[in-house]
Amino acid sequence: MLTLTGLRKTFNPGTVNEVRALQGVDLTIEDGSFVIVLGMNGSGKSTLLNAVAGTFIVDSGRIDLDGHDVTRWPEHRRARLIGRVFQNPFSGTAPNMSIAENFALAARRGRPRGLGFALSRDLMGPLRDRVALLKMGLEDRLDNAIGSLSGGQRQALTLLMATWLKPALLLLDEHTAALDPKSADQVITLSEEVVARDKLTTLMVTHSMQQAVSLGDRLIMMDRGKVLHDFRGPAKKRLRAEDLIDLFDEIRRRELLDESAAAMLQSLYV
Amino acid sequence: MTLLVGAFTIGLILALLALGVLVSFRIFGLPDITADGSITLGAAVTATLCATGVNPVFATAAGMVSGALAGALTGVLHTKFKINALLAGILVMTALYSVNLRVMGRSNIPLMQHTTLGTWGEDAGYSLLGDRGLMVFGWRVGAGEIALLVGSFVVAVLVAVALFAFFRTHLGTAMRATGDNPQMIRALGANVETHIILGLALSNGLIALGGSLLAQYQGFADAQMGIGMIVWGLASVIIGEALTGGRSLGLTLVGAIMGSVLFRLLVAVALRWGLNPNDLKLITALFVFVALILPGLLKKIRRPAQLTTVPSA
Repeated sequence: MLTLTGLRKTFNPGTVNEVRALQGVDLTIEDGSFVIVLGMNGSGKSTLLNAVAGTFIVDSGRIDLDGHDVTRWPEHRRARLIGRVFQNPFSGTAPNMSIAENFALAARRGRPRGLGFALSRDLMGPLRDRVALLKMGLEDRLDNAIGSLSGGQRQALTLLMATWLKPALLLLDEHTAALDPKSADQVITLSEEVVARDKLTTLMVTHSMQQAVSLGDRLIMMDRGKVLHDFRGPAKKRLRAEDLIDLFDEIRRRELLDESAAAMLQSLYV
Repeated sequence: MTLLVGAFTIGLILALLALGVLVSFRIFGLPDITADGSITLGAAVTATLCATGVNPVFATAAGMVSGALAGALTGVLHTKFKINALLAGILVMTALYSVNLRVMGRSNIPLMQHTTLGTWGEDAGYSLLGDRGLMVFGWRVGAGEIALLVGSFVVAVLVAVALFAFFRTHLGTAMRATGDNPQMIRALGANVETHIILGLALSNGLIALGGSLLAQYQGFADAQMGIGMIVWGLASVIIGEALTGGRSLGLTLVGAIMGSVLFRLLVAVALRWGLNPNDLKLITALFVFVALILPGLLKKIRRPAQLTTVPSA
């Protein structure tokens, strides 16, 4: 279970570049729940994922994950509980190392790394079987450098790596945004399979309305560093892409209104 | 022939320097100038201990450990205090110059009168081969020289094999990934800072071991002996990569040893042909400069050629 209480984060405080990225996020995600996070650019959805992952320490608030208060844990310590797939296909794998070596690293996520041989037989057997299920023909190329693969293949492998040891939480940060439509579909199908099979608690950021309505059992929409809407259960099931577009329009109209109101106040009083 | 055997032996000893530079520069991508100080530190510590009659094996180990500590210090400056890697190396290297003088108590310690791994090796050679030495390609080579050549070959191979094995363990693989993609390995739960500190300790430990063996081979330690060593190590690594052309771990390790030996041979031949020893470092620096920019230049030259081969629609 993931519980966020009053999360706040401001970047570059006190400067002209001040960004109030998170302005009090409260959220509880039950075990096995697959949550879609939507929002416009700058709404704080990626910042939310990074706050949970520990890329930075929040200014205030509290993060509880799987019975631990991880608010002050550094990123590498949280990795014991969290599997991640990044937006950039180059971020999640070590390009100059082989597929097998990348998986050997993932098989020790958050665990002590001793002087045992990394590419043990215990790993290679299951690895070949699992990679064969991708039907990408990669099971015979486990010794190839991962940098020689396409973005879609790398993202699929990163997803397998992130979930090789079952994580208490899986974070997917627009993980298909940089892929061509066909690869994106493949990776999305794989994500659904993996999440369903291991009943993973998942937080997924996306820009695709289609993915937002077809995936997950809960959808939250963020705006200005807060959770604006929260649909779950039947309400989430009923959501259609048009409904989401309407919600976005509403946010956009309000922002326009804010701007015109600000302009009016400025013309009146300044 | 003596010149050739000597060049081979020094090349093999300085292969440890090349392997150390390989770890910091190629695996971690950090230009670690600590090398100039740590190679002298290894020599200084070993020479000082040998001169007081300490067992050479212990003296050599002490030299290596002190180099590892120096490397760890650079790592701490870089990771914990967020100092640029180059500057952190310069700081430690500069500090080590004074440390080395303190350790030695003077700028030069001769070891001719003392028991070292070098004298052990020569003694072993004489007892095995006798005073007459061996005929190699019609040239007579002294038993002592042969023994030291074989000894340094064994050390270089053992160290390379140990490195190869280490970089295939869980910890070693994670350390390689630290240089390849720190974001990825952090997300997989590795402490990147610790890995960098460990890696620089390993690198400088190897380099100090090289310095320690070099002092015992040439029979003295000198406060100036480390100047420019990082560039020599880089030159060896680059030659090695050109020789093996390999991106795989094993090939780069073998390449570093071959590169170091070939580099020493080239230097020996150039000096024999009348190259002024004072110009050696200038030429080495030029060589590394060319080797660093050559791949980019070749790409630029080839690109227009590729464009013309694209069929027009």
